[in-house]
Amino acid sequence: MTDAANHLGATLQDFLDGRLPDARRAEVEAHLDQCPQCRGELEALRWVRDVALRRLPGEEVPPAVARRVAAALDAAEAPSQGWARWAAAAALAAAAVLAVVLLSRPSGDLADAVARDFAEYSGGRLTLDLQSSDPAAVESLFANAGLVFRTRVFDLGMMQYHLAGGRVHQVRGRPSALFAYRGPGGRDLVCQMYEGRLADLPRTDDVRERNGITFRVYRVKGVTLVFWQEGAAICVLASDAEAEAVIQLAYAKAVKV
Amino acid sequence: MSLRGTPEGVKRAAFEATALPFMRALYNTALRLTREPPDAADLVQETLLRAFRTFENFAPGSNCKAWLFTILYSVFTNQYRQAKRRPRMESVEDLEERFQHFTQAPDNPASDVATVEGWGQRWNPEVERALRQLPEDFRSPLLLVDVEGLSYEEAASVLGCAVGTVGSRLYRGRKLLFAALQEYAHQAGYRKGTALDR
Repeated sequence: MTDAANHLGATLQDFLDGRLPDARRAEVEAHLDQCPQCRGELEALRWVRDVALRRLPGEEVPPAVARRVAAALDAAEAPSQGWARWAAAAALAAAAVLAVVLLSRPSGDLADAVARDFAEYSGGRLTLDLQSSDPAAVESLFANAGLVFRTRVFDLGMMQYHLAGGRVHQVRGRPSALFAYRGPGGRDLVCQMYEGRLADLPRTDDVRERNGITFRVYRVKGVTLVFWQEGAAICVLASDAEAEAVIQLAYAKAVKV
Repeated sequence: MSLRGTPEGVKRAAFEATALPFMRALYNTALRLTREPPDAADLVQETLLRAFRTFENFAPGSNCKAWLFTILYSVFTNQYRQAKRRPRMESVEDLEERFQHFTQAPDNPASDVATVEGWGQRWNPEVERALRQLPEDFRSPLLLVDVEGLSYEEAASVLGCAVGTVGSRLYRGRKLLFAALQEYAHQAGYRKGTALDR
């Protein structure tokens, strides 16, 4: 039984958090109708939960912390990778083994990670935080997420690629602005910008220069990747469209900073 | 050279997709627990490193956030809790008495701080400050349940205590935080019906 003389105490919290059986809820509601003190306490508890705490924004992860975590994961990953490669390559000549190890250092994973993100997006497993065809709205998404580098969401309408939206993402532990387009024939195009240097990328034989900008081109399992530097950020386009078409899109949108 | 087919490459990709989205939540909780950005950075790094090394133990489909917080609290308890004593705001008993005073005031249920219009980002630093000064037993359930949205059961698993203990500490923690913030509001000169942005 509840009446005004027996205040509800901790039962109020179970009521607030939906942890009471229906019959008990009805008793509590009846008590609240008669008891201003319990109503006041309930409102105070609700205010702490819903206003003071649930909306507490917190801070963005500093990029330096994200980079430290990525480096720690790289280091944790390296030994077992090396072991696996050496075991698998036991039948190969020593020089070939060495080449495999050199080419598979953790930085080599950046191209792989971007290609994987493309495959995930294209397969519907990587969703966008914001679906919008408005480049300014997608840039606002990134600005509000506290990305420290300036993002530039391209308008590729002239080239028949239409903006689908953006996602605040991570590539190899680095904060990344990911935005996607739908192009001719339903082809997907995924662009990412993240803080980094071209030198972090693995070696490639396909390096091109255009308007004073260096483009590094990779092909990973049918996906063409074109990387270039803009200020402190790396931009990369990824698509399974025809390789030269992807490269031309990069030429059209890259800006020398 | 692609690593996609290697077990480590697959593990790393799965970890990045599953665990790294919670880095921000881990970092903010670490900040509130340690109160120092360098300590918070260390705590987050150690948590994610341990999580990566033991990622095989994570059951797909279960709550990754709760699993990561379990690791974070384990690291925090072992490495930081003993080293750094937190400052106490004032005695728990005084604050609880103050809470009762507010809720028994004749003009309740509309208490001052809860009715001030425009409570928003401007006061978030006060909430953060009050949170960081709460005794840890009460602060942790508030961080896990109210800030991070874990269930009572998940928070109990993270903290290694009974579900009922989470509930009772949450109740007292909410009351303590309310009393502390009410006190700030009074000190700042706000009374019922005043607008924060006056």
